[in-house]
Parts: sequence; C-alpha cells; structure tokens
Amino acid sequence: MFKLHLLLFYEFCKIGTFALGGGYATLPFLYFLQSQYSWFTIDELTNMIAVSNITPGPIGINMATYTGFTTAGITGSIVATSALVCVPFFMTIAITKLFTKFQENKYVEDIFNGLRPAACALLASIGLKLLFQSIKPSTIDYDALILFLVMFIPFMFTKKNPLLAIIVGAIGGIIIKSI
Amino acid sequence: MKNTSLWEIFKIFFVIGLQLLGGGYVIVPLLKKYIVDERQWLKEEELVDFYAMSQCIPGIIACNIATCAGYKTRGISGALMALLGVVAPAFFIIVALANALTTITDNEIIKNAFFGIRIAVIVLVLMTIKDLWAKSVNSIFSYTLFFIILICLLVLPVSPTIVIISAGAISLLYKKIIGGKNV
Repeated sequence: MFKLHLLLFYEFCKIGTFALGGGYATLPFLYFLQSQYSWFTIDELTNMIAVSNITPGPIGINMATYTGFTTAGITGSIVATSALVCVPFFMTIAITKLFTKFQENKYVEDIFNGLRPAACALLASIGLKLLFQSIKPSTIDYDALILFLVMFIPFMFTKKNPLLAIIVGAIGGIIIKSI
Repeated sequence: MKNTSLWEIFKIFFVIGLQLLGGGYVIVPLLKKYIVDERQWLKEEELVDFYAMSQCIPGIIACNIATCAGYKTRGISGALMALLGVVAPAFFIIVALANALTTITDNEIIKNAFFGIRIAVIVLVLMTIKDLWAKSVNSIFSYTLFFIILICLLVLPVSPTIVIISAGAISLLYKKIIGGKNV
C-alpha cells in the first residue's frame, strides 16, 4: 500500500520535472506509465483525458488527480497531484528570482532548442499511436474512422476548443453507434 | 503590496482555477482580469513575461504562472497559496467525479458517447501537436531531431524522460560543435 504511494510520488515527480509544454505534455508520460505498470487501461486513460478536458482546472492536474485516484484512491490522488507540482514550484521560484539572467543565458537557449522539438515529437508519437489503435484495433473500425474524419477536418482549421470537440464527439459517438 | 492577505491570494486563485476550462493558456486572460486590472498585484508586462517564462519551465503552465504571480505578490508563502488555490477546484471536482465515472460508463449510451469522445481527444491531441510544431520546429536541426525522435518512439518503447534529457544534451553539444552558427 505504502509502496504504491511511494512509486506514484516518484513517477509523478518525474512527470513534473520532465514534461515540457503544459498539460498535454504529460500525456506521453501517462501512456508510458500505462505500459509499465498497467494501473489502468488505455481506454481508461483516454476517458480520463476526456473528463479532464470538460472539468475546470488545469488539464494536467485533473489527469494526475484522476490517475492517482484510480490507482490508490483519495490518498493516491493527493500524492500524485502534489508530486506533479512540487519540482516545477521550486524551479519557478528560483527562476523568478533570476529571471533576466535565466532568459539571457546562452546554454539555456541551446538546450531549449532541442527540448521543444522533442516535446512535440513525444506528443506526436502518442497522437499517432492512439489514432491507429482506435481506427485499426484488428480490422478497420469504420465508425471510428468516419467520426475521426468528420471531426478532424473542420477542427484542424479552427481555433482549439476542447469543450466543443468533446461535446461533438459524444453526440457523434451516440449517433454513429445507433445507425 | 506586502499587506495582501494569504487568504485573499488563495481565494482569487481558487476563483481562477474554477474558471479554467480547456487548458493552461486560458489562465492568461483570467489573470489579466483579476490580478492586473482589478487588483494591480502585477503589471501587464510582468504577466506577459511570466507567461513566456512558464512555458520554459517543466510542469503545468497554469500552475507555474500562478506560482510566479503569487511569489511576486507575497513571496514564497504567496506562491504556495496561489498554487493551492489554482489546483484545489480541479482536485476536488475530479475526486468527486471519479467514483461516479467508473460506474456510469457501464451504461450503453454513455459507453457510445465515450467512444466518440475518445476520438475527439485524438483530434485535440493532434491540434496541440500542430500548435507546438508551429512554435518549435523551424530549423533543419529541429526538423531532424523531431523526425529521429518520432521514428524512435514509434518503433521502441523509450521512456519520455530519457528522450527529454538526451534531446537537451544533443542540442547543447550540437551548438558547441557548430559554434553558434544559426542553422
């Protein structure tokens, strides 16, 4: 029991320290957790992301709380959430103090030139894996494919609106499964 | 500014946390309204700086900006209160919903809704990639790094932590070797 919490703390500390680019950047880490520990299934994880998108609060926090809760109950969610925020909290304070120095530092700039494309590639690999898994679990799932194309094309050319996307997805899912 | 009470800081950030819907970026206009316009805890330029800075710090962007703003207002305890305030609504709402969610997904209609929602999540992830790509992949070096990492990740189960650490190291080494030329 206690060991599980320790493990949760360690894993979420790692996520907080290395997830660059906000809430969605924690996704690759969560999928990696899933493949390592099977605390939850891929479908559950995707449901978690959906719920996080339609509830108030930073998405990363929602996901950590939810993951912690499904893994080890309420204490698990406290551990996961506090682990996620603790390292960035101290980094933020340190950097706020040294703000100008930090931004002008050439090494910091050089490192970030590599970190940004890496964070983007991490998310891209998850996006592609999720897409293939839902469209082609074993044979092609036409329901999923049609729904994806119907949403993908208009949404790709508009501003990101998570709430609208989730609502359209829910209605689309109910309609396409009842035809 | 030092006389702002910690409770006041917590309260304001709690209210902001409640209104955060759809990702960390939404916090900027909320902070402008509550902290810059209504309370003058920060100047608008500071907010813009904090936003830029928060994106360079790992972790959740909204939490990092809240920490910055709280720190500027009342030091380290202000930072802690701001962070707790912004996290609390998300935490309690999810804990309250978590139990219900595991049981309602047995319902057939809700199951179908979630089938569609999962596809919507994929679309949202792809849109986030598009945004990140526009901001970060813009040179020969970053294109190369992006595709090498992406191919590695699709073939091998590499830990994201390892990917981030090695990308930082490679980028630093690369700049050392080419000696500051812009490629």
